[in-house]
Amino acid sequence: MSLASALNTAQRSLSNASTRTEVVSRNVANAENPDYARRSSHLATDTLAGAGIASIQRTTNDVLYKQSITTIADEAGQKTLVEGLDQLKNIFGTNDYELSPAVLIGKMRDNLSAYAAKPNEPTLAETAIASAQDLALALRSGSEQVQQIRGQMDVEISSDVSKLNDMLARFHTVNDEIVRGSFGNGDVNDYLDERDALTKQISAIVEVRPVTRSGNDVALYTMDGTTLFERIPRTVSFSAQPAYGAATNGNSIYIDGVPLEAGSGSNSSAGGSLQAQLQIRDDLAPMLQSQLDETARAVITLFAEQDQSGGGGVDLPGLFTLATGTIPPAGVRVDGIASQIFINAAVDSSQGGDPTLLRDGGINGAAYSYNTAGAPGFSSRLDDLVTSLDTPVAFDSSSLLGSSKGLINFAADSLGWLELIRSDATSSLETKEAFNAQIMRTLSNTTGVSIDEEMSLLLTLEQSYKAATRIISVVDELLQTLMSAVR
Amino acid sequence: MKTSFVSSYATQTSMRLVVAKAQAEIQQLQTEAVTGRHADIGVELGGKTSNAVRLHRDFEQFSTIKSTNSLVENRLSSAQAALTQTADSVQELMEALIIANDSDNDDLRSVAVNKITGALEAFTDSANLTANGEYLFAGINTDTKPMTDYFEPGNAAKAAFDTAFTTYFGFNQTSASTGTITGAQMQDFLDNTVEPMFTGADWQTDWSSASDTNMTSRIARGELIQSSINTNADGFRQFAYAATISVEMLNIGLSDEAQTVLTESAIKAAGQGISGIDDSRTVLGISEARVSKANSMLQIQADLTKIYVSEMEEVDVYEASTRVNALMAQIETSYSITSRIQQLNLIDYLR
Repeated sequence: MSLASALNTAQRSLSNASTRTEVVSRNVANAENPDYARRSSHLATDTLAGAGIASIQRTTNDVLYKQSITTIADEAGQKTLVEGLDQLKNIFGTNDYELSPAVLIGKMRDNLSAYAAKPNEPTLAETAIASAQDLALALRSGSEQVQQIRGQMDVEISSDVSKLNDMLARFHTVNDEIVRGSFGNGDVNDYLDERDALTKQISAIVEVRPVTRSGNDVALYTMDGTTLFERIPRTVSFSAQPAYGAATNGNSIYIDGVPLEAGSGSNSSAGGSLQAQLQIRDDLAPMLQSQLDETARAVITLFAEQDQSGGGGVDLPGLFTLATGTIPPAGVRVDGIASQIFINAAVDSSQGGDPTLLRDGGINGAAYSYNTAGAPGFSSRLDDLVTSLDTPVAFDSSSLLGSSKGLINFAADSLGWLELIRSDATSSLETKEAFNAQIMRTLSNTTGVSIDEEMSLLLTLEQSYKAATRIISVVDELLQTLMSAVR
Repeated sequence: MKTSFVSSYATQTSMRLVVAKAQAEIQQLQTEAVTGRHADIGVELGGKTSNAVRLHRDFEQFSTIKSTNSLVENRLSSAQAALTQTADSVQELMEALIIANDSDNDDLRSVAVNKITGALEAFTDSANLTANGEYLFAGINTDTKPMTDYFEPGNAAKAAFDTAFTTYFGFNQTSASTGTITGAQMQDFLDNTVEPMFTGADWQTDWSSASDTNMTSRIARGELIQSSINTNADGFRQFAYAATISVEMLNIGLSDEAQTVLTESAIKAAGQGISGIDDSRTVLGISEARVSKANSMLQIQADLTKIYVSEMEEVDVYEASTRVNALMAQIETSYSITSRIQQLNLIDYLR
């Protein structure tokens, strides 16, 4: 029976070649798919029937894969942080910070000193008040935008959380298929690709540690040890605040009932976008708000009017005021005060006020007038206001910028604080991006498809196919010869 | 079995990343080459941004103070010019008094009175000079004419003097009895009745509407100067005193004794007037000197600030543009490598 056996083996060889060609073709088809791991076919010798296909294997590199999950999470977190910081910086305008309180206070100071040089000129009063109005507006809209950014972080968190829950549900399905397939010895490689891809996507939202267990089952844990997935997905829950004010605290994100910690530092500890969003929402934006609040409080205090009549009246708000009409206590932060500051209607000519009250005082009645004689060349009040902007005043040290300094310095330092973080965060992002790109490239080089390699493999397959067919035709000829001899 | 450690995907991605990175950098460098400043100053300077912002504000402040200083200089030099005129008037008064003192001729006295009248008018005019819409010698009452015109009908100062004269002597200046006034009476009248009208509180009701408070101007960050004087200064009072008593009594037929007392008092007051005006000119002169010193200081500070700011914020434009060229060459190389790599494909050789 040796001829029949040769035919059999040749047939096996044909079927091997076609199976391996199929693997090559699948590899080529997925050459551009970053989540695809190259398949290789392994031949094992079957003593009974000659060569037989033992298995199709998926190329893996566990160390690089786990590292890539970490770098993806780090990059996503840092990127989210930098984007948030860019948004916070954009509140203050471009390279010249033309909308920042520091610049606007400086402009107001210049206009006030121009008015002090020529106090009998009403247009200079209008100019000074217009620049004060710009400042009040910038403080209000700055504070509003900070809160908007916090609200927007909430929206992004909600959307990321629902994405995460969806992905966990899909992860569940895929993982179940893999476990089932692994027990039944089916081909689960496509599912493995999908599970790896899902893990990477999940890690971009919240950094996970995949742990492989018996039956190729994978459990996902967050970096602080909370279970995200184990046989079944755990619930990630979050409810967004409808609106943000300076005193509003955002809600936590609960993973399996445990609150997720916010990232910290400019080279952020955040793994995945969620922690970075929490960092912006609960740490950086509120700090910036508190600095705006302190700026606003100091502005109101510096422009306050003192009782000049000797009647011992309390200090009352001057050019800048609040709806309450009182001066906030010195050196203590008042949350959200920056969003409430406005120009006193008594000096605003568009509201029927008298701009010269800026020069004379007396916004709060005659007892508060510094220029009792009504002299039009009176400049000492204006001059005092100008110098007060550089004189150290008390600030709440919880705003991180020191407890005593000039208002303009305080406002400039607030920009410095933000830019220091943004600058560090941006250079950290560059490092993390480069590292992630490096890891991804190495991983792809290790587990990805090289078309050239597949092509050369195809050549070998073609040759072995040709050889097998040749054997079949030779056997055929031999059989024919045998048959004709018999006939 | 995998034999090579290169994947097609990685090869293409790494090329794409190189190009994307270079393109982003070109965009940034283009901005820098055109503006001469860092494309993102905050990221470049980090915590030092606060210094840059502060220096910008300082520079603006120096510019503002410099421009308001020109206003102050203008006020001071106008006041100096007006005081020169005032000093001329005082000089004229002095000359006329000396003529009157030396003669007992009524005609010459009447010439002297005319001259003094002219001097008082000129004095009033120069005291009421304005510059930039401000009365120069009104103190901070810049919109009020500081000095009344003595020769205007119904003038309060004139009326006050007439009343004082009539009350003291019992007759008016045109009366025939003026010859009976003794030297002692004249001395007493001048020292105890008329002079207090000029040196005391009456001055500000009858003569001057100026405020005692002078204009002050900040000419540098820490320097506040007096930038005007007012008609309540001694020089103005003494001049008006000398001129008034001369105009009113020099030619009313006084006795020789009384005439002598009068002219001597008038000359003495005119002398004090001259030194008073000189004092005021000195005050303004000192202020002028301080302004010009402050201006040159401000210029130096502004220049230094500018240098610091540019050191922090500016980029070497030449370097930026050469860097753009280098990057463009790099991108071109990358393109040609990409296309060569695309050609290096086994498929093309498998026919």
